[in-house]
Amino acid sequence: MTRLQFMNRLRNGLIGLPQKTIDEIAADYDGHFNEGIAAGRSEIEVADALGDPERHAREIRAEAGLKRWETERNASAAAGAIFAVLGLGALDLIFLLPILMAIVGTLFAFYCVAIALFGVGAFVMVAGPFWVFGAPIAALILTGLGLMAAGVFTGAATTLVTIAFINVMVWYGRLHMRLLKPALEPQGAI
Amino acid sequence: MVEAVQVQLKKGVLELCVLALLSRGDAYGYEIASRLAKGIGMGEGTIYPLMRRMQADGLVETYLVESPSGPSRKYYRLTPSGAASFAAQKTEWSQFSAAVNEILGGAS
Repeated sequence: MTRLQFMNRLRNGLIGLPQKTIDEIAADYDGHFNEGIAAGRSEIEVADALGDPERHAREIRAEAGLKRWETERNASAAAGAIFAVLGLGALDLIFLLPILMAIVGTLFAFYCVAIALFGVGAFVMVAGPFWVFGAPIAALILTGLGLMAAGVFTGAATTLVTIAFINVMVWYGRLHMRLLKPALEPQGAI
Repeated sequence: MVEAVQVQLKKGVLELCVLALLSRGDAYGYEIASRLAKGIGMGEGTIYPLMRRMQADGLVETYLVESPSGPSRKYYRLTPSGAASFAAQKTEWSQFSAAVNEILGGAS
């Protein structure tokens, strides 16, 4: 691999990170080439000693995704963390996919229940007094409010479980990235 | 299997080695990479993702120094929390390796 090839593969692997970060990382490796050549090594020698550029890029990108999830708990950071873990190839997908699908499906069902409870509650509270004759209006409004509160509670509880689930995935990805994955793929790219 | 164990061991102690190196004096990337590659046989490029992570974790900080040959060099220096982490990990490592050595010695 030549210096140019190494740098191109590294930069390609880093696509998706802020341009400033990519430049910083590229500067680190560029400096390494300069030092190596000044020390009398050839470009090819330095590139070979550096190892697999895609693997370094993957590791840096995954770490960035996981860091972001630690500092900002929102949907886009969660998606970033999940894709970072998947991008590492850390999850044995064939084995884990059924379990993941089941968990995601269950969480989705709980969100649906939460929304439905909230909707029904709102309907009972607002429309109930016009539709149901004979029942006291206060009781209908309170029932509606109760259902809405149950919906909010279910939604909040499901959100907590979702966050815990993503944290477990992040933990699992870290474990693989730092220990298991490089052990499974030694081939000089350590 | 033996190879996999070796890689795991090396990966696990890499951070400790970087901390040890920097505790003896500031160093720039190429220096750290070539010292570690020679000493424990790691791919030199592994060092840069590790340095970024250690910087993000607040264990090291960087500063630029003009170089006589070409562009300026990025030096790494331990932060107080990096020094504390080194002391703690060093103790842990000596206890661990002493225990393993004892068992290995007893088995032979």
